[in-house]
Amino acid sequence: MDRRTFLKIIGTGVAGATTGDLLTAGKSSAGERISGKEFYGILVDTTRCIGCRRCEKACAEVNGLPNPDISEGTNETVFQSLRQTTDKQYTVTNKYDTEKGTIFVPKRCMHCNQPGCTVACPTKAMKKRPTGHVTWDSNCIGCRLCMVSCPFDVPKFEYGKAMPNIQKCNLCWDRFKQGVLPACVEVCPTQALMAGTRRQILDDGKRRISMNPDKYVDHIFGEYEVGGTSHLYLSAVPFEQIGFRKDLGTKPYPEYSSFYFKTVPLVATLTPLFMLAVSAAIKMGKESQKQKHEEKHEEKGKH
Amino acid sequence: MSRKLLFLFISVLYLILIASGLTLVYSVGNPEPVQKPVSAAHDNKIRIAHTEIFGKLQRPQVVFDHKKHEEAYKKEGCSTCHPVDSKNKLIFNFPKTIKGKGKKAVMKAFHDECIECHKKSGAENKKTGPVTCNNCHKKEFAMLKKPIPQAEFDFYDHNKHVKIMKEKFGKDDCGQCHHTYDVKDQKLYSKKGTEESCSSCHDLDKKRGPELAAITKVAASKGLSVRKISHQQCLNCHLECKDSYMNVGSQDVHKIHNEKIACNSCHIADDYRQAVSCTECHIPTDCSKCHTGKYRTTAELNNVARPDRGQRAISLIDIENSSMREVPFNHQSHEKSVKSCRTCHHETLKSCKACHSLTGKPEGKGINVANAYHRMLAEQSCTGCHNKMKAQKECAGCHYYISAMDVGTMNPKKNNCSSCHAGKQIAMPKPLSYAGNNIKEEVEIKVLQKEFEPSKFPHRDVLNKLVKVSNDSKLATYFHRDIQTLCNGCHHQSNTSAELQMPRCGNCHMVDYDKQNLNKTSLLSAYHRQCQGCHEKMDISKGRKCSECHEANKKGPSAITQIKNRNVVRQNTTSMLNVWHPK
Repeated sequence: MDRRTFLKIIGTGVAGATTGDLLTAGKSSAGERISGKEFYGILVDTTRCIGCRRCEKACAEVNGLPNPDISEGTNETVFQSLRQTTDKQYTVTNKYDTEKGTIFVPKRCMHCNQPGCTVACPTKAMKKRPTGHVTWDSNCIGCRLCMVSCPFDVPKFEYGKAMPNIQKCNLCWDRFKQGVLPACVEVCPTQALMAGTRRQILDDGKRRISMNPDKYVDHIFGEYEVGGTSHLYLSAVPFEQIGFRKDLGTKPYPEYSSFYFKTVPLVATLTPLFMLAVSAAIKMGKESQKQKHEEKHEEKGKH
Repeated sequence: MSRKLLFLFISVLYLILIASGLTLVYSVGNPEPVQKPVSAAHDNKIRIAHTEIFGKLQRPQVVFDHKKHEEAYKKEGCSTCHPVDSKNKLIFNFPKTIKGKGKKAVMKAFHDECIECHKKSGAENKKTGPVTCNNCHKKEFAMLKKPIPQAEFDFYDHNKHVKIMKEKFGKDDCGQCHHTYDVKDQKLYSKKGTEESCSSCHDLDKKRGPELAAITKVAASKGLSVRKISHQQCLNCHLECKDSYMNVGSQDVHKIHNEKIACNSCHIADDYRQAVSCTECHIPTDCSKCHTGKYRTTAELNNVARPDRGQRAISLIDIENSSMREVPFNHQSHEKSVKSCRTCHHETLKSCKACHSLTGKPEGKGINVANAYHRMLAEQSCTGCHNKMKAQKECAGCHYYISAMDVGTMNPKKNNCSSCHAGKQIAMPKPLSYAGNNIKEEVEIKVLQKEFEPSKFPHRDVLNKLVKVSNDSKLATYFHRDIQTLCNGCHHQSNTSAELQMPRCGNCHMVDYDKQNLNKTSLLSAYHRQCQGCHEKMDISKGRKCSECHEANKKGPSAITQIKNRNVVRQNTTSMLNVWHPK
């Protein structure tokens, strides 16, 4: 990348950020839905997950990451601590001991409908695709703004590399383009993960809850949280018991900064104009005073 | 000058603000430590708090040692503290009389009665109780709880009482305990064969039909709750017996018992030098003797005779003008599987159709007879109780996945109905056995053979277990008419009339995801969820870990290779694209 293109990207990125480029694809109309312009996602049924970590292994295989050992002995030690996703593990499964027994929860990027990270990214490396995938490109400059802006603490930085980038789950974007299911969904032995359009999986999640009211908590995590996400979770226990934040609210993250981002261009363009006007006014005032002064002098001179 | 003044003024204001802020912060005291209630053993002590009258207590509650007082007033008797009614029977109220109404009157009555008596015996130089506040309202009692377990009068107790009464009065006199109330004549009477349980009239919280409501209203006006009358009825009789037992003194026990009671009532063992203790009949009046906190199970009560009220052992339930056939009902065998008549007879002990008619009557709260027998969530209905039985862990393995039969829906088939609505008596089916059928001993499952050695599923062992569970239960034996019912527990979608053989899992569940329906269970997921779901529901500890079914591959650990292979196939299939990828 030469200096010119770099500046171009930075320029467009900053311009994009300052004009408050808000994604509105989450609020799709009925017409868009029928025409297939829908977000895709995964429904995670935590009551079905058995903690085999095959999704972790499949994810590593597909993305060319270090292959995790998922044998039974290793699993026991791995589950002793609550893990976070890393730059080498896009999905991790954690074990929670709750009132309804042991529950395993796979954790990865939630692919928000209106992601904070894409708005925060100054180079537009983080993108929300029209199909719902939140992906990253190679033009990441490593500013780590996306890490700060993510409510789920998902994007991870390659601290170990000389030319570091951000890494996270991209909902198997490359496989999606070929029309193949995400790797984790394909290998799940209990169908705890179900892929489909967001509408399909939301419907199915609601159906499961209504059919088994004793089994599930009447809530789908991700339906409204931070404006909706493409990863939806079902659970048998209240979500705060299995490591989900309760304080996220339903407002999309970009909207918190939208007022600021919208006023920046106004202020940036209007302030110079205003100042110019003020200075012009002052100048005019001074000049008119000068003129009056001169006129007086002239009059005095006449007398 | 004025600027200096202003500066001074502002700085003083600032200082005041800081000072007041600091005082505010430090003036907030520590929150009162929340005291947790402490549970202690009951040991015949009664907690006097009456929070229903006093609300929040000013002083700690009183823990009253009943046993101590009982022993102190052995001679004087219970009537020292408890009032006596017109028939010279004790009423277990304390204090004896409360003059006036309200908190103060109750408090005064308690204080007067306790303290006066303590003072009196103190004046007579006898051993006495406390007269000052803190000696009764002790601080350590404040959060003390003495949970009294509910007393249970089960069939064993009932049977014992029936025997004793018969020996005492020479005939079956149920009227000693059971009575009903005549609202017109305003008196109690008893009639053989119409005995009811105490709660049918004395359970004051329950709403009921017009006939019983009139009686309950009278009971309520006298404050005769179940708690009150059970103490009154039981204790009065027990005290009488106890008195006679206490007064035996030096007389020969045999002489007293000789005429009334057979020898083998006391000398149960073969050795006649041994006899049961006197308290077996002459029950002392300790609280903990009835409020044991231990309850007999139905298995323990299996050999105990049930109360005889002239009920039929086997009957044919017939509802007039009903469109359904009669239902054969074995009352006797159902008696053995419950702990109380009221498990099914929830209000009176009359038959169901006495209150529940075809169209519903006010006596039955408008619930018609079909609902009375079939309501899914009622514990007294046939269906409700049977559903509850099916939720036990032995049955839940299969029945959790079979939707409960609900006659309110289109769900039940003709044979479901006819298993009860037979129109005639049906003999108990023979115990199930799969002899003559070709049952595979072991099934090898190779779905994951790239990663693991093939799993071996002990097919016949599983069936053996199911057959045993079914044959051990009378309910299951009756309803599981043939061996195929058990097969259907796992082979759940089979149509036995159309198929020669039970379908294999792979017949419906595809190895791949279903292209049309992503929610359809894949083969891998079908195996895991069926096996593990059943093990979980039946509480079987085996088969919860991966290694218990999957042996490690002998070639060493391998990648999950099938992902990439599938890629190639799927790229060419357009129908798959329709589901996951519309363009």
